[in-house]
Amino acid sequence: MQFISTSPRLANVSEPLTVRFLLLGLTLVYLLAMLVLPLGVIFVEAFRKGYETYAASLLTDDSIAAIQLTLLVAAIAVPANVVFGLAASWSIAKYDFKGKSFLITLIDLPFSVSPVVAGLIYVLMFGAQGYLGPYLQAHHIQIIFAVPGIVLATIFVTFPFVARQLIPLMQAQGSDDEEAALSLGASGLRTFFSVTLPNVRWALLYGVLLCNARAMGEFGAVSIVSGHIRGKTNTMPLHVEILYNEYNFVAAFAVASLLAFLALVTLGLKSALEWRYGGELAVSRGH
Amino acid sequence: MDVTEKSAPIRIDVKDLRKSFGAFAALDGVSFTVQPGELLALLGPSGSGKTTLLRAIAGLSPAEQGTIHFNDEDATTLSLRERRVGFVFQHYALFRHMTVFDNIAFGLRVRPRRERPAESEITQRARRLLEFVQLGGLEKRFPAQLSGGQRQRVALARALAIEPNLLLLDEPFGALDAKVRKELRAWLKDVHRETGLTTLFVTHDQEEALELADRVVIMRNGRIEQIGTPSEVYEEPATPFVCEFLGNVSKFDCTIRDGEAEVAGSLFPVGEENGLNGPGVAYVRPHEFEIVIDEHGEGLPATVKSVRPFGPTVSVELVLAGRDGPIEIAVPRELIGLGDVQPHRVVHIRATAARIFAAG
Repeated sequence: MQFISTSPRLANVSEPLTVRFLLLGLTLVYLLAMLVLPLGVIFVEAFRKGYETYAASLLTDDSIAAIQLTLLVAAIAVPANVVFGLAASWSIAKYDFKGKSFLITLIDLPFSVSPVVAGLIYVLMFGAQGYLGPYLQAHHIQIIFAVPGIVLATIFVTFPFVARQLIPLMQAQGSDDEEAALSLGASGLRTFFSVTLPNVRWALLYGVLLCNARAMGEFGAVSIVSGHIRGKTNTMPLHVEILYNEYNFVAAFAVASLLAFLALVTLGLKSALEWRYGGELAVSRGH
Repeated sequence: MDVTEKSAPIRIDVKDLRKSFGAFAALDGVSFTVQPGELLALLGPSGSGKTTLLRAIAGLSPAEQGTIHFNDEDATTLSLRERRVGFVFQHYALFRHMTVFDNIAFGLRVRPRRERPAESEITQRARRLLEFVQLGGLEKRFPAQLSGGQRQRVALARALAIEPNLLLLDEPFGALDAKVRKELRAWLKDVHRETGLTTLFVTHDQEEALELADRVVIMRNGRIEQIGTPSEVYEEPATPFVCEFLGNVSKFDCTIRDGEAEVAGSLFPVGEENGLNGPGVAYVRPHEFEIVIDEHGEGLPATVKSVRPFGPTVSVELVLAGRDGPIEIAVPRELIGLGDVQPHRVVHIRATAARIFAAG
């Protein structure tokens, strides 16, 4: 979310002062009730029984396993989507080919498909009763109810984030810089690392942040393929649900507070990027 | 000043280049030769293929057919790197995250280790180039901190740093305001003289082409209409298109009869290649009219619309009977002093020269 300051309008075309205060007040109350208070509640509940209980519930084997798994999944999904995002936006921005707009639409698919459906697709593909199930079983490869499935589902859900940031920026920048580098004698690889990548670095970082936040927080798709095996296939969001269903509220909120903290850090970094490199990022925030 | 190793400038031979974008023929059989050390302008309206031609010579987007030779070496299949062409982009294409200095040094630093000069030499050379383009002291700036004219100079210094075989500039002054354009024009001429490089530049501004270039290539629809020195293309345009494109002409319909045609009150011989009889078009430049003071009304009657007494000659707008739009003529200052040429007065004019082509 971003607040864009506009130049002050002329007094005679502006709404009366009362209307302005009313609108502003409504917005603030709404944000407070819907966002700030719930977020506060997470931390309050997490620390309800004191710091030691908080720490203890985070340090159980299952919680640590969940944290580790979440980090692992993000560590695979985010780089994978950086590579994919760069490849996709490079081909879309620098080449002309048929079906280009279709490809752009396709990249947006995970935004419009419910994550549950995404999870089910993978069960249908790789599950015991799925298309590839017999083959995978014969070769003792487990994807569903195992880490590979969780990684796949996470990649599916998060793959638009990097590409969506890069495509508009690369399109706006064109290929002049690359052509200049090549004409000056740089190799293709050198051109990519010395010219292309620095040109999009802030948008890329921005995309990585959003991608990472989603990868760590994803629930729906991961829930379908994970199988909820404690200590094995539980990510942090799934672990929160299990703890909550067991009425272990303090532990549930403790793990949730970690996720909330991650969200706050992401938000902070994102705002810092926007503040510092707003101009470069403005191009990519067309959606 | 020695900014490039003074190897002999190269000759470029372009033969029958063809390239199309879908059904559109961007280059439709282009052949010409650029003499060593020449400053050549590629002039034409947008869509005429001039930029496509420049990019084909640079190797940025190869042509589909035809050959390009640098001296006697076939460059057609050489890669961008192998051609070693200094290319200056219309919008500069400076690397925005690098300082001016790093931009200029880029081409030297990316060389393979064996050919790369020592860092101290790179520094020295980049400094020298900065001085050469009159930007000494700005090496730590970023492109965003420079004016358009300064950016263009950096782009040129960067292109010169690789000691190019030839220099190609795509609309080098296209993005600059009028005053800076004028300054940079003179400066580019100096740069060309001092580097001695074979240089091609693309422009759609006929004044720029005629003022700067040794020779001008005028393009239209992917073909060359005419190649010649500025005075050749101006004085002896080969086609009606060249006449109109170089600007500032009045066009008259006329009839060619027995190898002669009457244009604006005068009879002119018509070249045989345009046929001895038939409809024709004639072009007359403003200074090729004279005002006939003679009371007996020789020449074409015309009503004076406005008189603009600026510059060495006076520009007079006239309305002719039966003709849409006024014509512009240039007359010596003395004539105005006589008081005949004033708005609403009727004068008689006559063409002293005309270029006549068969119509169609």
